[in-house]
Amino acid sequence: MTGAGFQLIYAKPGRGVTWALSWLLFAAGVIGYLAISTARHRDNPEERVTPTVWQMVDGMSHAIMSPAEDSEPLPDGATWSQRLTHSMLWTDTKATGLRFIYSMALLLPAVMLGLHMGVFPYVGAFFLRFVLFFDKIVALSLLPILFIAFGIDELSKVMLIVIGVAPTVILDTFNLARGVPNEQVVKAFTLGAGDFDVTYRVVLKQIWPRVLNSIRLNLKAVMLFLFAGEMIASTDGLAYRIALLRRHMGMDVIIPYVLWVALLLFLVDFGMRVLNQKLHPWFEA
Amino acid sequence: MLLRRSVSVILLMMTGVSELMRGQAPAKPSFTVGWSVYAGWTPYHYLAQSGIMRKWADKYGITIKVQRFDYAPSLDAFVAKNIDACTMTNMEALDMPAASGVPTSAVIIGDYSNGNDALLVRNGLQMKDLPGKKLLLVQKTVSEYLLDRALTLNGLRDQIKQVRLVNTSDSDIVTAFLSDSNSAAAVTWKPLVSQILKQKGVTSLFNSSQIPGEILDLTVVRTEVLNRPDGSGQKFAKALAGAWYELMTRMSGTGAETDKVLRAIGSGSEDTLESYKDQLSTTNMFYTPASALAFGASAELKQKMALVRQFCFDHGLLGANTKALDDVAIAYPDGTVQGKADRVRLRYDISYMKMAAEGKL
Repeated sequence: MTGAGFQLIYAKPGRGVTWALSWLLFAAGVIGYLAISTARHRDNPEERVTPTVWQMVDGMSHAIMSPAEDSEPLPDGATWSQRLTHSMLWTDTKATGLRFIYSMALLLPAVMLGLHMGVFPYVGAFFLRFVLFFDKIVALSLLPILFIAFGIDELSKVMLIVIGVAPTVILDTFNLARGVPNEQVVKAFTLGAGDFDVTYRVVLKQIWPRVLNSIRLNLKAVMLFLFAGEMIASTDGLAYRIALLRRHMGMDVIIPYVLWVALLLFLVDFGMRVLNQKLHPWFEA
Repeated sequence: MLLRRSVSVILLMMTGVSELMRGQAPAKPSFTVGWSVYAGWTPYHYLAQSGIMRKWADKYGITIKVQRFDYAPSLDAFVAKNIDACTMTNMEALDMPAASGVPTSAVIIGDYSNGNDALLVRNGLQMKDLPGKKLLLVQKTVSEYLLDRALTLNGLRDQIKQVRLVNTSDSDIVTAFLSDSNSAAAVTWKPLVSQILKQKGVTSLFNSSQIPGEILDLTVVRTEVLNRPDGSGQKFAKALAGAWYELMTRMSGTGAETDKVLRAIGSGSEDTLESYKDQLSTTNMFYTPASALAFGASAELKQKMALVRQFCFDHGLLGANTKALDDVAIAYPDGTVQGKADRVRLRYDISYMKMAAEGKL
């Protein structure tokens, strides 16, 4: 080996440098935004596309402290907690959050289906081809059928997410279940296990952390479908609010809302990672 | 240090790109007009295709690009100053560009909705039954304005808040309404209205012909473009008006020749001749510049705009920073101003329609 090049592969940044480097793009983004926003406001003091930081703080504090324009006004002398629980941000977050929780819960049956498809060849033979086909369907284009089948209320939004994300989760679980070495199954049988002991106590138990991981990686897809659903027909929710605010360029609230959603998603992701580690300390993601 | 350098590199790259773009611009002043699908705006499709627009642009020594958009993005592009002229309703002209501090001039008053927008109900519901019922519409648009006016005119103004509005995207409102029998009513526009009315048991309870002249369809130009010192902006508006009224003359005739033109216009929105004619029958087109001029100069226009302005303000459409109704002012051809004189953001400029009427283009 002639020592051509610098072997940058071995050049490891120290703690401080790593920290600084990792924030650099954030800083560039913020500075770039501020530069553009300032320039545009100098040009047009009433500009609404790139609100200043103060306008966003203002818009957001309004969203946190007071109810939406289309809901019931607060009684006089409302307490802090009353103000918060009736605020626009809280009611929107609650509506979206509930839909999110329902759809996550409905992904559990998907995991179970994938597991059984992977373990029992007959179940696999029955479902696999159909799920493979269904996985390639662009769920959003089926909306008219969804409306007919599930109405335009909560159910159709949740089903849009489930139909959009469940096939991926099913197929992932199926592949993970199939990946469990057959020797383990044989061994379990020789030790006197039954079919369901093998399914739940041998296979499921060891693929569970990977399944959780796969659901975690699909969070973004869940959120995209949820937003699409809320933007198409809705009376509340975070995406509903964004869709309404877009009609009159309410970027002073939209930008903080988008950041809020990003924060929530990050927290859910982080929570699932921690949970996974706590539940399965032997698993290394 | 590193930070400052990387920022300056980015800025350098950005100016480099914009220099490049500027370098490629032709010597002739170039303008872009954006349009979206609507009976009164689809003529732009034909103006571009038939070469009428190019003919008028050549006459004034400029280049005009005609670009098709979806409605909302066309407004965004206009507010962001990416395009110079755009088709929009009087309401959006007020609550999008004007309220965002982009002074806007309406140079062509194309038509008003004369039944294109309608409130549809199931099972013969009456206006008084609406409070408490579920109603689908695209919120914060002329649809909500129409609903507001319908209830007000029927003496139900104080019950507006009890109607359960469901914000529904226009691309899905037909299937959503038809497949969900729990939705008692919907407000939308043609051709969606016609599609919904085909369903048995659905009737039209109120439509825009009952509020004539309140939902206007305009071609607007940024005032700053019109006021360019080299006069190219005025040439642009003249060319727009010239091309527009040449086509209006062709559209308003009768017989096979007119049908050919209408069919070509309708193809811009994938409409058949019949469907496009149906839409036109509920659109009060100002086919002659004189009729548009008369409406633009009338006192009626001020009354209608006062209603629209109040609606926009009451619904927060003028933005969180607009604390008073008079902060987004409208100027009329006779020099009067609705609102604060130093905050004129929307201007009805009839001079180009006047030139067209007098044959001076």
